[in-house]
Amino acid sequence: MYTLLHGFYKYLTQKEEYCVVILGLDNAGKTTYLEAAKTKFTKNYKGMNPAKITTTVGLNIGTIDVSGVRLNFWDLGGQQELQSLWDKYYQESHGVIYVIDSNDRERMDESKEIFDKMIKNELLSGVPLLILANKQDLPDVMGVRDIKPVFQQSGALIGRRDCLTMPVSALTGEGVNEGIIWLVEAIKRHSIVRPPREND
Amino acid sequence: MGGVLSYFRGLLGSREMRILILGLDGAGKTTILYRLQVGEVVTTIPTIGFNVEQVTYKNLKFQVWDLGGQTSIRPYWRCYYSNTDAIIYVVDSADRDRIGISKDELLYMLREEELAGAILVVLANKQDMEGCMTVAEVHHALGLENLKNRTFQIFKTSATKGEGLDQAMDWLSNTLQSRK
Repeated sequence: MYTLLHGFYKYLTQKEEYCVVILGLDNAGKTTYLEAAKTKFTKNYKGMNPAKITTTVGLNIGTIDVSGVRLNFWDLGGQQELQSLWDKYYQESHGVIYVIDSNDRERMDESKEIFDKMIKNELLSGVPLLILANKQDLPDVMGVRDIKPVFQQSGALIGRRDCLTMPVSALTGEGVNEGIIWLVEAIKRHSIVRPPREND
Repeated sequence: MGGVLSYFRGLLGSREMRILILGLDGAGKTTILYRLQVGEVVTTIPTIGFNVEQVTYKNLKFQVWDLGGQTSIRPYWRCYYSNTDAIIYVVDSADRDRIGISKDELLYMLREEELAGAILVVLANKQDMEGCMTVAEVHHALGLENLKNRTFQIFKTSATKGEGLDQAMDWLSNTLQSRK
């Protein structure tokens, strides 16, 4: 009887689960963005003090429930020596969030380079992509208008997947909601090709 | 160098937190425990035959034992797994010969259901030794890319010199605090 009820309860409460990998150069604001997303979509979650967020060498995970599904985030370290670990996550990713430091003009080319390398990986082919021009809270940063053309040069690599470039401030939370809601819908559309994660 | 008081101030006064410091023998666990300056370390030598070093500071409980070998006593480790908030996994970055064993032990342990919610701090220790592994090498050698459902972070440390522990403990404390 317990098994039956438990199974029924699980059936009622179980959500489709998708995985989203958050990538970008170190200091782009990936972890701060994840904290902002968790704060926005999780009741009573206080979030880590952004001032206390340090360079990631490892993995931060986060889970949020949004638009009837569950999203699992993988926030990876962006330092050069850690970039070789990114592709270990591609096969299981249903969506990619690529974070750019809009205030770092000097490293824009570097960011574009590793973006190209990432997006042309076959394991990510067709996977929806959200490009975030982060740190829009700072004065005189590059806007989407400046950044979009840079990344549009990779149009052929991006291909026909769903792709959105938008401004965001992980620090203030501005734009975080909209991006995630867009991504969820894109992931759902793509779920015919890449179905939700199997749960045991 | 901070010591437990400066690192974990934000966690004091909340519920009991249990932190395990584990790794192969000779990785530097006990040195790290002493670096925390928690107070007197009590070594328990229970009849079941494995040593657990333990220190308690207010609501924080740190427990240390060696992994590896001794398959007969492994089932008893479980007694210490429940309600674990964090695992500090200490690796000797200079010991390339045994990193494979260290990996097996780590992955074996993390399969325990009781540890599913624990966050993981990997200390790539003995960074003062020449020719030691970098963090990326340690990451790869421990197969950490297989841990997809757990927050973890790797830090370079030299426990004998006291380097890197500040950053590691700060991160641990902040991460635990945001979850409590």
